[in-house]
Amino acid sequence: MRRKKPGRGASGPAATTVVVMNLYIANNAPNSVQAVANIEAICKEHLKDNFKLEIIDVLEYPLRALADGILVTPSLAKLSPTPAAKIIGNLSDKSKVLIALGLTGKVA
Amino acid sequence: MNPKLDTPQRPLPQGSARPGFENVVLRLIKGAPERLAIEAGQVDAIIDTASGTAILLPEAQRALIERKTRFRSLVALCSDWHWQQDEHHRFAARESAGAGKPGIDDATIIGKTLWEMPFDNMSEADWQTHRNQLEWRATFNDLELRYVDRAGEVRYISVDGEPIFDEQDEFRGYRGTARDITGRKRTEVLLQGPDRHARSALDALAAQICVLDPAGTVIMANTAWCACAVNSGIGTGVLEGDNFLAVCDGAAGNERTAGGAIAAGIRKVIAGERELFRHEYATDTPGGPVWIVLTVTGYRADSAARAVVSRETIAGRKRAEPLLELDYTVANQAPDASRQISRRISIANSLLAALPDAEYQRLLSGLEPVTLTYGDVLYAPGAPIRHVYFPIDSLVSLLTTVDNRRHALEVGLIGHEGMVGISLALGISVSPVRALVQGTGTAMRMEAAPFCKELLQSMPLQRMLYRYTHALMAQFAQTAACNNFHSVEARLARWLLMTRDRLLSNEFRLTHQLLAEMLGIRRGGVTTAAGALQKRKLISYSRGNIRILDRKSLEAAACRCYRIIKNLQGSKPAWPEAVSGRP
Repeated sequence: MRRKKPGRGASGPAATTVVVMNLYIANNAPNSVQAVANIEAICKEHLKDNFKLEIIDVLEYPLRALADGILVTPSLAKLSPTPAAKIIGNLSDKSKVLIALGLTGKVA
Repeated sequence: MNPKLDTPQRPLPQGSARPGFENVVLRLIKGAPERLAIEAGQVDAIIDTASGTAILLPEAQRALIERKTRFRSLVALCSDWHWQQDEHHRFAARESAGAGKPGIDDATIIGKTLWEMPFDNMSEADWQTHRNQLEWRATFNDLELRYVDRAGEVRYISVDGEPIFDEQDEFRGYRGTARDITGRKRTEVLLQGPDRHARSALDALAAQICVLDPAGTVIMANTAWCACAVNSGIGTGVLEGDNFLAVCDGAAGNERTAGGAIAAGIRKVIAGERELFRHEYATDTPGGPVWIVLTVTGYRADSAARAVVSRETIAGRKRAEPLLELDYTVANQAPDASRQISRRISIANSLLAALPDAEYQRLLSGLEPVTLTYGDVLYAPGAPIRHVYFPIDSLVSLLTTVDNRRHALEVGLIGHEGMVGISLALGISVSPVRALVQGTGTAMRMEAAPFCKELLQSMPLQRMLYRYTHALMAQFAQTAACNNFHSVEARLARWLLMTRDRLLSNEFRLTHQLLAEMLGIRRGGVTTAAGALQKRKLISYSRGNIRILDRKSLEAAACRCYRIIKNLQGSKPAWPEAVSGRP
């Protein structure tokens, strides 16, 4: 399963940074389904359109995960902006996800 | 890439019960965050770096298997069987989703392509389109196929399919599901539309509606029909499963004539001899006589013809109408059957009424009253004239056909003022035109042989018919010129006025298709012209019901041909009128 959400170009001066992430999942396994739902909700709430999320099913593309240094799923890898970060698990701990994505400053 | 819904590749054979499994996992996963996540139960799969494959953890594996089972049962719920085809589109497997579900036998399907199977609703071009879809590896949905099962019953299936690819992205064939949609198709056909809410829409209607199968059995009746508490005359209390035709045939007493006429009309509709049948009849209720109009329309479903019967009380409709400028307003205002009947008698045929009494009495022995119903063809071009008709409150259109009868154009319109079959009066026993009944009503009919005999004996009848022939010829000529030179709107207005004069009614039923044929134009032209007249509030038009709202303004909108044709009826005779008109 692969889904892409292309980030739109800079729309406002404060939100010009597009966050690029990869989410590695295992088909429709429970934690994977939860992780997808959690990250979608977080992106919608905090990033609006300024993100690009690729969802990679490791059951289909195991070598891709291996090449990206992913050992377990679900795993979320933030690729840009730097620093890169990795969160493992179903992303239910929202604050941990926000910290990893570097979004803490924007949260009220 | 298509999403794969199969079980994941290489799952662990058994669940966490397997001894040492945790050790294996922990050996594979060396990082602390990964271990913590596994211990927290937040991980579904791990990647085996040695083999380069993903290994599902037992929990996830169980969940996926359960999900697949659930998916299968859902598929079974919404489809009757699933199938798989090889790369040459031949069926390789077919599995019924449940016992007893209808379907095509394995023996007839395995090894065959869809287009090699006996489906009868797809043309070669349709199959080519489908094959192109397959060549493009496109997913296809709702491919509806019709076949006749072993019991000889027509069945429909709907097939969905998607291409399958192997790990190397090589095309491996198609797989999909199929559903038996015979029931749905039947209902659709019954309701004459794909709208699945149509049944509830029918139920919401105030009109009483039922559907008959070819044998006349009621296969569906709407709520109004079933709940019909007041006496609606013939067929009251006939519900789903009852035979409507039998009830009509068996009608006794006052209803016998109406019952016979209705049964005959329905049979004609079912036999496809006529598209529409209308019959008006009166019935006695505790509150007094009530007039009812019964409309029967036909259509073909599968290979069987069916008829839709609707019943409405006209009294209510008439009462609700605003006062119109009707010739028979007085008669129509009160729902009084005796007045209705007297109106019917007073409107006689003008030609017959103009005959001297003696002549009329002699002619009367050969005349019989008949009901002409909308859609009846009295004569076909070139066919012998067996009867002449003197319409009373019916309306007959004379049509000239061209191009092997593909196109027809109206050249004359005959109502109570005239006679149908005038060729016979001129010594020709074959009709040059098609005579089509446009308005249901009664007429006096006479067989050709006695009519010719009477004509030879009766000078007044000859004179009257010659005069009428002149009027009709002039009408033909005027109509021909009018069709060529005048605008569609003016012609439509003329036609509506002529119809009104002949039916003595400001309201009649006409479809766009029929109007287009009458005026020799496309349907779109009728829509525009009728729309324009409606916008000017001269007529109202809805669902084939036309009502003239403002006759005077409509006359102004019509071309002069209307007046010319109307005045023809009163042309001055060349011979002295030796006879006195009947009162």
